[in-house]
Amino acid sequence: MTRQAFLARLRDGLRGLPPQAVADILADYEAHFADGEAAGRTEAEVAAALGDPDRLARELRAESTLNRWREERSPSSAAAAVFAVLGLGAIDILVLLPILIGVASALVGIAVAVVVAFFAGAVVFAAGPFMDPPGGPATALLGGIGIMAGSASGGAILTIVSIGLMNALVWYGRLHYRLLKPALEP
Amino acid sequence: MPEAIEIQLKKGALELCVLALLSQHDSYAYEIASRLSGAIGMGEGTIYPLMRRLQSDGLVETYLVESPAGPPRKYYRLSQSGKQTFQGQKDAWSSFSGAVDQIVFGGAK
Repeated sequence: MTRQAFLARLRDGLRGLPPQAVADILADYEAHFADGEAAGRTEAEVAAALGDPDRLARELRAESTLNRWREERSPSSAAAAVFAVLGLGAIDILVLLPILIGVASALVGIAVAVVVAFFAGAVVFAAGPFMDPPGGPATALLGGIGIMAGSASGGAILTIVSIGLMNALVWYGRLHYRLLKPALEP
Repeated sequence: MPEAIEIQLKKGALELCVLALLSQHDSYAYEIASRLSGAIGMGEGTIYPLMRRLQSDGLVETYLVESPAGPPRKYYRLSQSGKQTFQGQKDAWSSFSGAVDQIVFGGAK
């Protein structure tokens, strides 16, 4: 493969990353070709030593997305990380997919339940005292606060569990690097 | 050597090797890659993600040097914390490898 073809395929594969990151990565590999030629190797030899550019791009993109997850714990970076891990295209990850969907649906379901419980608590707190509840208005006020506090702590536990599961997935995804291994072990 | 053991060993040693090369003299990625791929059979392309990680961890710094042919070349040097990390890893490596050597080869003596 020529240097042109290698870099073009690498650039194609990195689409979607921030432009600055793509430029940095391409500049590194371009310099690698230049240095390789200066050392008397052909473009084809250098390209062969670097490995398949499509695979390399997938792993580099996965790595960059997984790092974004490490720096910024947000639902969007989590979703991006999940797709990046799936994009590594290992058979055992695809086998994992149904389990992954099940776990994700369960988490979403619990999250919805937590939000609903929180608002139900708010309703008990705000409207309860006027509805003449058994035990008097104070019971409704305290009960409402209790339900809200309970659902808030449920939400906190859910968040911790979700982050833990994501980190496990990221760890598992990294096991599937072929070209980047062993450079990226933490 | 069984493949699994070899991968594990390389994994642990790679960062130490890069830090060691940089502690001898500043260098650029191609030079580091060709030294290491010859010596410990590391894939050449792996050097760039590794260098980026070392840089974001603050262990190495980069600067540009005009090169006779082509664009300026990116050189890496150890930062202060990189030097400390290298010293720490070197000590850990030497006591660990010494202990393993003694167990593995000790019986043959």
